[in-house]
Amino acid sequence: MAHTVTVGDRRVECAPDQSLLDAFLRAGVWMPNSCNQGTCGTCKLRVLDGEVDHRGSPADTLPDEERQAGMALACQASPRCDTVVSSPTASGAVRGTHALRDLVATVLDVEDVARDTRRLLLGLDEPLAFSAGQYVELVVPGSGVRRQYSLANTPEEDKVLELHVRRVPGGVASDAWLFGSVAVGDRVELTGPLGDFHLPDAADDEGEPMACIAGGTGLAPFLGIVRTALQRRPDREIVLYHGVRGAEDLYDVDRLTELAAASPGFRFVPVLSDQPAPSCRAGFPTDAFVEDVPSARGWSGWLCGPPAMVEAGVKAFKRRRMAPRQVHREKFTPADALDTGAAGA
Amino acid sequence: MTITEQPAAATEQRDLSWLDAVTMTELERDPYPVYERLRREAPLAFVPVLGSYVASTAEVCRSIATSPDFEAVITPAGGRTFGHPAIIGVNGDVHADLRSMVEPALQPVEVDRWIDDLVRPIARGFLEQFEDDGHAELVAQYCEPVSVRALGDLLGLKDVSSDQLRDWFHKLNRSFTNAAMDENGEFAHPEGFAEGDAAKAEIRSIVDPLIDRWIVEPDDSAISHWLHDGMPPGRTRDREYIYPTIYVYLLGAMQEPGHGMASTLVGLFSRPEQMEEVVDDPTLIPRAISEGMRWTSPIWSATARISTTPVTVAGVDLPAGTPVILSYGSANHDTGLYEAPTAYDLHRPPLPHLAFGAGNHACAGIYFANHVMRIGLEELFESIPNLERDTREGVEFWGWGFRGPTTLHVTWEV
Ligand code: HEM
Ligand code: FES
Repeated sequence: MAHTVTVGDRRVECAPDQSLLDAFLRAGVWMPNSCNQGTCGTCKLRVLDGEVDHRGSPADTLPDEERQAGMALACQASPRCDTVVSSPTASGAVRGTHALRDLVATVLDVEDVARDTRRLLLGLDEPLAFSAGQYVELVVPGSGVRRQYSLANTPEEDKVLELHVRRVPGGVASDAWLFGSVAVGDRVELTGPLGDFHLPDAADDEGEPMACIAGGTGLAPFLGIVRTALQRRPDREIVLYHGVRGAEDLYDVDRLTELAAASPGFRFVPVLSDQPAPSCRAGFPTDAFVEDVPSARGWSGWLCGPPAMVEAGVKAFKRRRMAPRQVHREKFTPADALDTGAAGA
Repeated sequence: MTITEQPAAATEQRDLSWLDAVTMTELERDPYPVYERLRREAPLAFVPVLGSYVASTAEVCRSIATSPDFEAVITPAGGRTFGHPAIIGVNGDVHADLRSMVEPALQPVEVDRWIDDLVRPIARGFLEQFEDDGHAELVAQYCEPVSVRALGDLLGLKDVSSDQLRDWFHKLNRSFTNAAMDENGEFAHPEGFAEGDAAKAEIRSIVDPLIDRWIVEPDDSAISHWLHDGMPPGRTRDREYIYPTIYVYLLGAMQEPGHGMASTLVGLFSRPEQMEEVVDDPTLIPRAISEGMRWTSPIWSATARISTTPVTVAGVDLPAGTPVILSYGSANHDTGLYEAPTAYDLHRPPLPHLAFGAGNHACAGIYFANHVMRIGLEELFESIPNLERDTREGVEFWGWGFRGPTTLHVTWEV
């Protein structure tokens, strides 16, 4: 039996095995969330009345003393009875959100684009509303396992979703399925959109210069983010670094180079960490940023890739005086990003 | 009556003659070793150089501050500096009246209304003067200026320069903590009050004309409200009645948010990974400040209470009329409460601390002060996220009554 969960003046139904976050997002109630795996703490809220089952909440993210003080992770906890919560960071301005939905899509195309890297196109029966940079979860057929993939789309591209997948040897999702059994015409279950790694709504977008650093298939959300930002302001200053091991790992270079040629403020810089090639920058993308950008005051920064790269990126941005609240990072770790070699020191 | 159970014999037997050798200079430079021993051997002890009993543990400080058998008293050097009736040293109706005078402007709902608009531009303004220099001494260039400007503007001292306000609190501080007593119970260094007297003369020459104006033309400044609020029409509080509390503000309230910010920064610099965490996630700033105030309490040992009846505290029998200095800075290093108290640790279990005091004389400016410090650090990290301590320069703390770093040199890449 579903219980009622209330935050402020919004009330939603939540099944006993459903997470609070899932219930709120499905009802269109925005609530801060990033990783959806209980590790980042962004979705922490306070239980004012009623009781929750913390389920998979890790002790690192939600220590005992916080549980006793009534805190819970919305992405993990389920209600045990009718419950009232308050979300400290959600209070204040009401922000736009896209309702979380379960969808079924059809595989339209699977294309090898680089070493161990594929582009997957999924056709939706109905359009999906999302913000550029958000991600979806695919259900691996037959296993019930879910995997998170960023959307490479702009919000107008709402009928055919583009995902980038890197093969992880032995990986149930990538190796066995998306580099194995998957075929055009297959039906795929997915849930989305998720995550807070996305551009603000157009009305809140201040048009500040943007520094973007991608590692491996962490490039995907930037195809959505950069194109959307340039649609809003064609002369916007944006620099996008794509860090990979060697030239064979690069993809969408023409697509991005053409975009750069058409956009006076946009620069695209591929960076090779292990196998240098004559036409490319060598080293780590985060170092390339520090070399190229003398000051990032007033800029926003965007990071998606392996954890070490993201960490090095935060340091690089601060070193160039970017305000920390302007630093955005994708907090889920794409399983396939662990192996791209794009990590900085 | 007994406040803290402890066999009297235990302390009476202890030989506390080592306390005879303790000097003011030693306490000002580093009070912690003496106090560590006091907490262990005699949580309530007579310290000859101070001519007074001192409470050094969290339990004894808290129980005295909240005891019905004690009331407030100002320390001798404090009284010599501020005069009577200073809010920290009065009781009963006068204290109630002075609290009712200062509290309206400091109420959380009231502070929420204007704190951001007041403090953020001030912080920005000082940052603009050095944010592109690549190096700064943050105590003099940022922490103290933000602290005095925010309160100065609130009080109605907009036209008094920040440097002037800083100079005043430094002089009043040294006078207030000129606490050394000789064996006859006289001030050991009476000449030490001269600079405080000079500062007060200067303060009066500047504030008297403002008061003259506020009497006939009230405005929204705090001191104007102090003169008029709660008074029958056409009457104002006498200026001699409010000056001692103006001095309380011009010393402690001006100085402490600056101390608090600077100590928090030094603490964070001692844990680079915690500094990074706080810079990356500004919502941790309030917690960082709270630990900073525990770690180095700005009002370390400046207020006192006096017994109103014979009383036994921590095994010591005190006759009525015995003053006890509350060393909150020591209480906040009590190993009974805090593990490794000398270490700054953002992630220690968040226990309440005594940096704002306790009982009916607890700090009236907690909410305001916390927000001033929070906004100050938010703006600092926003503007200079790559802040580093300049390791070529040491950091020295000074003070027994009031404590904080005297300088904090930092560098960053521009
Ligand atoms: C970080 C900054 C500050 C700290 C650590 C601090 C701490 C303290 C402490 C320890 C006391 C004595 C409490 C006792 O004896 O139990 C006190 C008293 C007081 N503080 Fe603060 N304070 C700070 C800032 C301020 C500010 C900014 C204001 C005013 C705007 C203020 C107003 C007062 C007043 C009026 C008293 C006297 C209360 C009384 O005796 O009734 N304080 N403060
Ligand atoms: S912990 Fe719930 S969204 Fe990250």
